Amino acid sequence: MDLVQLQRQFVDYTTSLFNEGFLDDQFNQLQQLQDESNPDFVVEVVSLFFEDSERHLNELTQSLEQQNIDFKRIDAHVHQLKGSSSSIGAQRVQKECINFRGYCEEKNIEGCRKCLQQVKHEYVLVKNKLETLFKLEQQIIAAGGSI
Amino acid sequence: MVAGPRNCSLTALVVDGDTTSNMIEQGLLRSFGVITCGVDNGRAAIDLFASGAKFDLILIDLILPVINGLETTRQIRAMGVKTKMLGVTACSREREEKAFLAAGVDEFIEKPLDSNRLASILMELNAN
Repeated sequence: MDLVQLQRQFVDYTTSLFNEGFLDDQFNQLQQLQDESNPDFVVEVVSLFFEDSERHLNELTQSLEQQNIDFKRIDAHVHQLKGSSSSIGAQRVQKECINFRGYCEEKNIEGCRKCLQQVKHEYVLVKNKLETLFKLEQQIIAAGGSI
Repeated sequence: MVAGPRNCSLTALVVDGDTTSNMIEQGLLRSFGVITCGVDNGRAAIDLFASGAKFDLILIDLILPVINGLETTRQIRAMGVKTKMLGVTACSREREEKAFLAAGVDEFIEKPLDSNRLASILMELNAN
């Protein structure tokens, strides 16, 4: 694939991520913080998001398997995941976290378990999408182009 | 580039246990020319002030590890620190906001941070 095609694919793919609700305007804000003094800012922040999210999701899975469920602890993890997902613009993950917090407040175990599966599902989707986006970006740069 | 008071010489402390949010908040403040420092728990924030550190602005998350945001705010205020404190929340539950105000924050800002709102807060601080 030549450079022009790659760049077109990048633009189309990015547009689709916004149209399908995976990303919101906050992702654009993040890209604006990237400059010559911080050329890898977006990739670094998103990588941190992946690490943090996986830690939270593991903790949530374990917490919901306990005999006595600590809803306060669960809420704290979901709160942080909501915050980080909103900060990078991962809209669908953020929305599922909002639902999750509602079930925590009601101390609804089944609701929480269902929400956890939804959050995991949306997280995996957005992770794959962003990794594809970054690979496209790397291909463009390797071909001598820019974003 | 984000518009705002680019030539300010302010310093800010970001207190957020979520490393993603902490990095983004510092990045946004730095885009306005603010010199930033970040810690990821309440105890570290309190220890900084106890050691004599000074900042023009503090952004503090409600939920923090080790010592929570409310207690951290109370302890920092109890030390006589009068620095402007913004309580950062990822939700806007009224009871949490009331508790945060009672603990000593000056106002709130929701995640994700609104760059225009942050710019006006920094311009106000710069003017003073």
